[in-house]
Amino acid sequence: MPQQALTEAVFYILLSLQKPLHGYGIIQIVGELSNGRVKLAPGTLYGALNSLVDKGWIDALPENPESRKKEYVITNSGRMVLEDELNRLTELVDNGRRLLGGN
Amino acid sequence: MRRVIHKLFWIWQLDKEEAWINEMASHGYSLEHAGRFSFEFDETEPDKYKYKTLFLKGSYNSEENVKYFRFLEEMRINVVSHIEYPGTCCVYTRGLSEDHPEGLEIYSDIDSKINCLKVSAGYMIFVSAFTLFAAVINILSALTPANMVWWLNLTCAVLVSVLCTASVIATVRIYMKIGKLRKEREIHE
Repeated sequence: MPQQALTEAVFYILLSLQKPLHGYGIIQIVGELSNGRVKLAPGTLYGALNSLVDKGWIDALPENPESRKKEYVITNSGRMVLEDELNRLTELVDNGRRLLGGN
Repeated sequence: MRRVIHKLFWIWQLDKEEAWINEMASHGYSLEHAGRFSFEFDETEPDKYKYKTLFLKGSYNSEENVKYFRFLEEMRINVVSHIEYPGTCCVYTRGLSEDHPEGLEIYSDIDSKINCLKVSAGYMIFVSAFTLFAAVINILSALTPANMVWWLNLTCAVLVSVLCTASVIATVRIYMKIGKLRKEREIHE
């Protein structure tokens, strides 16, 4: 069964979690990666992180007792999902460019 | 210095209430506590905070909500006050204006916005049903021949009918907002 398209928020969250990050860090990295275009709101991020942990695409790391901030990191299955999504997006872009006569 | 303002916002006037709280914050009064009929503000520098009011499923102290508030704190967003209602709670959150120059938004995706609206719609349906029930009971009591205080029941019936009508209108408005968001979701994420 082909993988369904990821939401932009989930795509960027997975992309930002190549190394462990807490929620605030994810929002900042996603903002930087998208040049400020994607602004993840905290409630949306919270829901997405919980869903991704449930799916096993990211891991919640043991809490740091000093900062009391929970960190997350991508798992191998999360990486595979991200690869599939990149292939899907590449297909979209290639088709778009081919039919619109772009590069 | 603390300033207490007595003001009544009906449950369906959440947007109006939020706009007023943000207006107060822009003039240097930051909300510290919200009650059903009163609001307590502390004097701060103008426009220091941005506020967002939202309905959440379950009690304020439920495990899920406590976890959620802790996460929001990590995001530098605090819950300054809350009001409990049957099956739901209304929370008053705030973040620094420097973090949220365009206003505090808790949800950026359509599904979460819809879910949040559904929680307030659910409570409005409860209010509508309760006030309708109270109106019917009062009308029936007023029509009882032996009732000496029929006028009192009739007055109550009129008052709760007005509340019922307002809450039904508010429920319809919330569902119209949900419908708009669903249409948007058909095209955009």
